[in-house]
Amino acid sequence: MTDHIVAEVSEIEDGERILVELKGREVGVFYLDGEYYAFANWCAHQGGPWCEGTLTGTFEGEFNRETLETRLNWVKEGKILNCPWHGWEYDIKTGTCLSRRSVKLPSYPVRVEDGKIIVTL
Amino acid sequence: MANERNLSLKKETIIDTDVHLQVKPDEIAKWVDEPFKSIMTKGHIGNPLPDSGWDRSMAGKIEKRQITGPEDIHEKLCEEFHIDHPIINSFGKLGKASMSRLAVALMKGYNDLVLQKYLDDYPHFYGLITVAMQDPEAAAEEIYRMADEKQYIGVFIDNTGPNPPLGDPRYDVVYRAAEDKGLPVSYHAYDSGFIVDFPRQNAGVESFFAVHVLTHPYAHFLTMTSLFEHGVPEKFPDLKFIFLEGGVTWLPYMMYRLNKVHSIRRFDAPMLTKTPEEYIKDQFYISTQPVGEPNNQEDMRKIMEVIGFDRMMFSSDYPHFDFDHPEGLEKFLRVNIPAKDRKKVLSGNAKEVYGI
Repeated sequence: MTDHIVAEVSEIEDGERILVELKGREVGVFYLDGEYYAFANWCAHQGGPWCEGTLTGTFEGEFNRETLETRLNWVKEGKILNCPWHGWEYDIKTGTCLSRRSVKLPSYPVRVEDGKIIVTL
Repeated sequence: MANERNLSLKKETIIDTDVHLQVKPDEIAKWVDEPFKSIMTKGHIGNPLPDSGWDRSMAGKIEKRQITGPEDIHEKLCEEFHIDHPIINSFGKLGKASMSRLAVALMKGYNDLVLQKYLDDYPHFYGLITVAMQDPEAAAEEIYRMADEKQYIGVFIDNTGPNPPLGDPRYDVVYRAAEDKGLPVSYHAYDSGFIVDFPRQNAGVESFFAVHVLTHPYAHFLTMTSLFEHGVPEKFPDLKFIFLEGGVTWLPYMMYRLNKVHSIRRFDAPMLTKTPEEYIKDQFYISTQPVGEPNNQEDMRKIMEVIGFDRMMFSSDYPHFDFDHPEGLEKFLRVNIPAKDRKKVLSGNAKEVYGI
């Protein structure tokens, strides 16, 4: 495991990302709500460059069995990363695929030291 | 006539999950009140539940078979086929009744008829509660009215005709009633309803061959897709769904196609929290008839292994022209799969799902 300085904190605005290559692997580094996240740029579906996808919200369903009311709520705006190839949805905070809960994309530890963003890989 | 060739069937417990009756308009008329009694017998429009006109007689090539009374079921299925428990379903054609008040009256009349004429005197018979999805509230009430009758062990829905398709939230009241009473829901398509759901195709094809090939998979594709689109198995996690008379081989295709599209368009079906395959392997079942007929029987074994022997339940569909005699499937299972799996398909799964 090696520490890699990937950027200065000033280089990634909130809600933005950078793509870097570490040890021959493409890695996406995201800054969202004051936290950093780093993932392999590889979708579990067909290997698409998911770190290059859009960040959007998504629908979640809610059902009240007593009233039989079904509600579809648009949630997590800006926190769902969609693979650009087929739109597989992932929760950016956990890397978990929304349609296949057992699928979680590989993530790497990220920390900030002296204004530098460091990914360990 | 008991058949010496069927000796191995005698030793098996066999539950037939798809047994049909022929109930003519003048018979059902005796079980409904006015004005529906007159509508069924004296209307100027002929039979208010007309057939679509296709000739299914096989042009005189095979005998005409009908079940018009419980003694027919006992004699043909229980004695000749060695069926231990026939499950009577099907008020066919109900799904396409245009007049919801008539549909509701026929639903109640039919359920009373089956109970009193077929179940009361034959304790080894079981039945499904037919519901008219034209009026979901009335259908739910009917489930509560009939559910405590011990021989009624499930709910029956004709899935050619209902519009919108059967996952629509307007039907949730029916699914809640079924779940409340611990009754699985069965879907069964009817060739006579093909004209309703697929009128252009019905007008365009040339023979009953095409109508019959397409009716059942089309209906099941639509129903299953709608259930997932609206998240019905997620809304009612204790409810079991049974698809009758589609054979078995369509299920892997739909399961994997639903998985694929769900993973891409999950936001369109956001009630789901699992893959369609996970729901199917937990809450969905299929009846075997008409078992597909690959040129190489080995292929069927492979497909059945993919589906899983926990998901399939024997059905004969007797007396229809493409019925499966239990001897064919029993023999196939005896030769090709372990005994414990054979017993699941012939009776074990049905016992568990229907609580027999």
